Order: sequence, then structure tokens, then C-alpha cells
Amino acid sequence: MVTFQNSTTSMRVLSAFRVIHWRNVPVMIVLGIGAIFMLLPFMWMFAASMRPINEVYSLPPSFFPKEIQFESYRNVFDSPLPFFKMYSNSFVVAAVTTFGVILTSTMAAFAFSRLRFPGSTLLFASMLLGLMVPPALILIPLFFGMAEAGVLNSLWSLILPGLASPLAIFMMRQFMEGQPRVYEEAAFVDGASYWTIFRRISLPQMGPPIAAMSIIVFTTSWNNFLLPSVFIHKVELMTLPVGLVAMNSAFGAQSLSATMAAVTMSVLPLFIVFLVAQRFIVESVTSAGIKG
Amino acid sequence: MANLKRREAIAGISFLAPAYLLFVAFLLLPLLAGLLLSIFQADRLNLEFTYVGWENFDWIFNDRRFWKTFSNTFYFIALAVTGNVGLGLLLALALDRDIPGVMLYFFRLAYFLPVLVSLAFVSFIWQFLYSFDLGAINYYVKALGFAPIGWLKDKDVAMFSIVIMDVWKNVGFFMIIILASLQSVPKSLMEAARIDGASSFTTVMRIKLPFIAPVLLFCVAYATIGGLQVYDSIKILTNGGPGDATRSVVMYMVNEAFSAGELGTGAAAALTLLVVISIVIALQLGLARWWRRR
Repeated sequence: MVTFQNSTTSMRVLSAFRVIHWRNVPVMIVLGIGAIFMLLPFMWMFAASMRPINEVYSLPPSFFPKEIQFESYRNVFDSPLPFFKMYSNSFVVAAVTTFGVILTSTMAAFAFSRLRFPGSTLLFASMLLGLMVPPALILIPLFFGMAEAGVLNSLWSLILPGLASPLAIFMMRQFMEGQPRVYEEAAFVDGASYWTIFRRISLPQMGPPIAAMSIIVFTTSWNNFLLPSVFIHKVELMTLPVGLVAMNSAFGAQSLSATMAAVTMSVLPLFIVFLVAQRFIVESVTSAGIKG
Repeated sequence: MANLKRREAIAGISFLAPAYLLFVAFLLLPLLAGLLLSIFQADRLNLEFTYVGWENFDWIFNDRRFWKTFSNTFYFIALAVTGNVGLGLLLALALDRDIPGVMLYFFRLAYFLPVLVSLAFVSFIWQFLYSFDLGAINYYVKALGFAPIGWLKDKDVAMFSIVIMDVWKNVGFFMIIILASLQSVPKSLMEAARIDGASSFTTVMRIKLPFIAPVLLFCVAYATIGGLQVYDSIKILTNGGPGDATRSVVMYMVNEAFSAGELGTGAAAALTLLVVISIVIALQLGLARWWRRR
């Protein structure tokens, strides 16, 4: 694990040829079989999305596509429900939420860890309380407030609740506390405004936690099912998780390959994020878990 | 000097304001409103409130379905926590050894990939895998010569099917956390055990498990709190059925509030859940403290 983390790509390839401890081989074989079982549902999903319409339900199930053809993907876009619109809804909600959370949480972290103002300890403690509130519990009052504000059945009803993220503020503050203050102090002595100090000095230091938090916020928003299932009833405003439920029942007889094509396209951004940032994600989950 | 101090205070409050206002508007106020709502009867259409005191709680506590959904949820938790943390621990113990980098990369990819993908998406895949006549799983069950299983249709089996999917989805998360804590076991302890000739089973039981006990406790509490809120997977796979065999508390709550239109009883159910979650958190913190003092 340690050598793996500190190695470059060529080292990583070399380490594969390192002496394998023979007594570990049985364990590795069991782990390998388990790993393949973990991947089977995704392989089946992709293979099913590639099947010709007249063979969708034929058995035995296949885990590798026999041919590459995108007929069912075309069917998804030709369906009466606006798949592309749902896709862009999901993207807009996730992107705006991520941008908003990162901006507000870094600013709050700057206030908590670099500025002295009355009540800061109490305000911070009150936000920690919010870490423990599960989303399902505030669903009813939220629905009620959204209806009152007239934003029900709009993408704002999904974006606004996502913007309140005590977790992001907590993690950003933890990171800033560990950074030296001398640069900010020097800039202040030179007469820079607080905004300039934040923009030019504090924010550029926060690259790693911003990247980790962006991934967490984006995937959480992309995967959210409970809020849109209650707040959104117009088809053209649905995000993918609830949109897929509507599409699944609308596809009818050909549902299997078309639904699997839609699911494949829906999980694709998550797979890409994961492949690009695998080590990063695993480490951030680990540190959050250990601290928690 | 006083002027500088005031400038700093104004800056501090302005930098905090956006995040804090969002927090108040979309977390704190809804939480307080939820507490209030549970003692009112609310009319969803013309937004009229009548104070009813404990009536909402009386109503749900006397509702057999409420207790049914609670016992369903605890049944789910018992199975899912055992599966997730137990299997996660076994996988972490298996991975905690010299494994070539490439294989470690593949294992992490395979076991962790489902964690990142939401239940809402993977439930569709599993819905077809579980299908009675045409499902992939029953095809192999029949090929092995057994009678096909009603994965989602049989009321004694449906909860197991949901748990299997849940473990597939979440076990990687627990595996990664437990693995990280296993790797923080001091090397000197392991060396000493090796010199004393302890078998690997003894090492696990006497050194590794006691060392990572607080993390295991955290995992159990985390999985329990997650389990108390189970919703997406059941909603898509079985929609609570067959009958009420898999209906969860959150489904009951959503159903009360949004289908039956009883916001008050829904809020009372939510509050009951919050109390249970607080108890779980308090238990975890208390047990962790006790373990450290021991």
C-alpha cells in the first residue's frame, strides 16, 4: 500500500512483478473471484444495452456484448420522454450545487480560521449540529417551505437544499487550520483587502480539499433520489434518478435494453470521475471515516 | 486599533454570511419547523394549522403499519449491518497483506465502484437480475436444478434480495475504512507477535481486532444510521411490497406526508426516527469512550 502510493507509473508496473508471496495466492484468488462478481451487474448492464431489440429477454444472460450496436441508445433519445433534457437537468443541478457549495464553504472556512469576530465559536458549533441531520427528516418542512416560496417544480428546489453543506465547511476549515498563516498576515500588512487575501492567497492553497469536496458534492447531487422524487412532478424538470423510473415504465416491451442504455449513460460520468480520481476518492473517504 | 478590529469582525461576518444563511434556511429552520409540525395538524392545500398536541404521535403509535415498517427497518438493519461490516472486515483482512500494486488497483476498483453509483441507478440493474421468469439469477438457479426463487415476489425472500443488493453496493466503503485502520496497527506489535510465534488467526483475534474495535464500532453505527433511512432501493425494487413486507420507516413517512397529505403525522414519524438515530449516536460515542478507558 505504501509503496503503491509513493510510486510513479513505471514503478507501479514494476511492483506487479515483485516477488509474489505464494502463501497469499489462495486469498488473492478468492478476492479475484469476488471482484469479478462485484463487476458482473455492470457488465450485464452494458451487454444488455447492446442487445438487439428482438433478443433482449433471451437467455442465457450475456455479460459481454456480442456486437456493438447503438439501436437501444437511439431508442432512448427517440422515446416520448426527454432523456437529453433530464441529463442536462442533472448536470445543471449538480454543477450549480457544487460551485455554490465550494464558494460558500471556502469563504466560511476563511472566516472561521483566519478572522476574529464575535460569536464565531458558537456559530461554528451550531453548524456541527447540522452534520447529524439526515435529509429524510427535514424533507416535509423543506417541501412546505419550497411550496411557500413558489420554487416547487423548479430546479431551484433541488439546488437550494444542496447548498447547505456543514460537511464541506467542516472539512474546509479543518484543512485551513493546518495551513500556515504567514502569507495572509504579510498580505494584510501590505494593505491587501480581505477579499484579495481570500482570492489570491487562501483559495489557491485549498486545491486538494476543493477537488475532493467537489467530487463528493457532485456525485451526491447526481445520485440524489429522495428530493426530486418528492419535489419534481413535471417530466421536463426531472433529474436522471427519477427520470429513469418514469422512462422505465414508458418503454414498455423493449424496456430492458433501452432502460439499460439509459442507466449506462447515467452512470458513465460517475465511472469517468472514479477512473480519473480513484486514489484521491479512496483517500478522502478513508480520512473522513477515520476522523468520524 | 479598535477600527481595525471592527473591520475584521465585519469581514468575518460577511464571509460567513452566505454559508450560514443557507444553513439556517435549508437545515436549521426545517429542523425546527419539523419539530413544531409534529404537534400540529396541517392542511396541505390551504395551509391551515390546528394545534393537536400529542395526537399525531398517538396516531402513529397506534398505527400497526408504523410498527410494521419499524420492525421491517430493524430487520433490514440487522441483516445489512452484519453483511456490510462483517464482509467488509473479511475483505479488509484479506487485503491487508503483500499484494502486487496492479492487483490491489483492480481489487479497489471492483469493490469500490458500486459505492460511487447511486442505489437509484443500480436498482434498475438488480430489478432485472432478480426478475422471476427472465432474470439472470434465476436462470442459473434453474440451471443448477433448483426451483426458481421469487426474489422480489416472495415476502420471505424480498428483504434478503434488498440486503444482497445493499451489501454489494456498500461493502466496498466499509472495506476501505477498515483496511485503512488495519494498516495503522503498529508494526512493532505485529513483529512481537511474529517473534512469539503467534498464528495469523491469533494475531487477528488478539491484536488486530482489539486495535480496530473503535473503527468497527463507528462502522456499525454508521451503517445503522444509514439503514434507518433506507428508501431508494426499496422504493425502486419492491415499492414496499409484497404487501408491506419490505416497507421502511422513511417510506411510511413519505407516504403519510405526501400521499395521504398528513404532514403532521409524517413529521411525528420523522421525529421518532430522529430520536432513534440520536440514541444510536449516543450509544456509539458512549461505547467508544468506555472502550478507550478500559
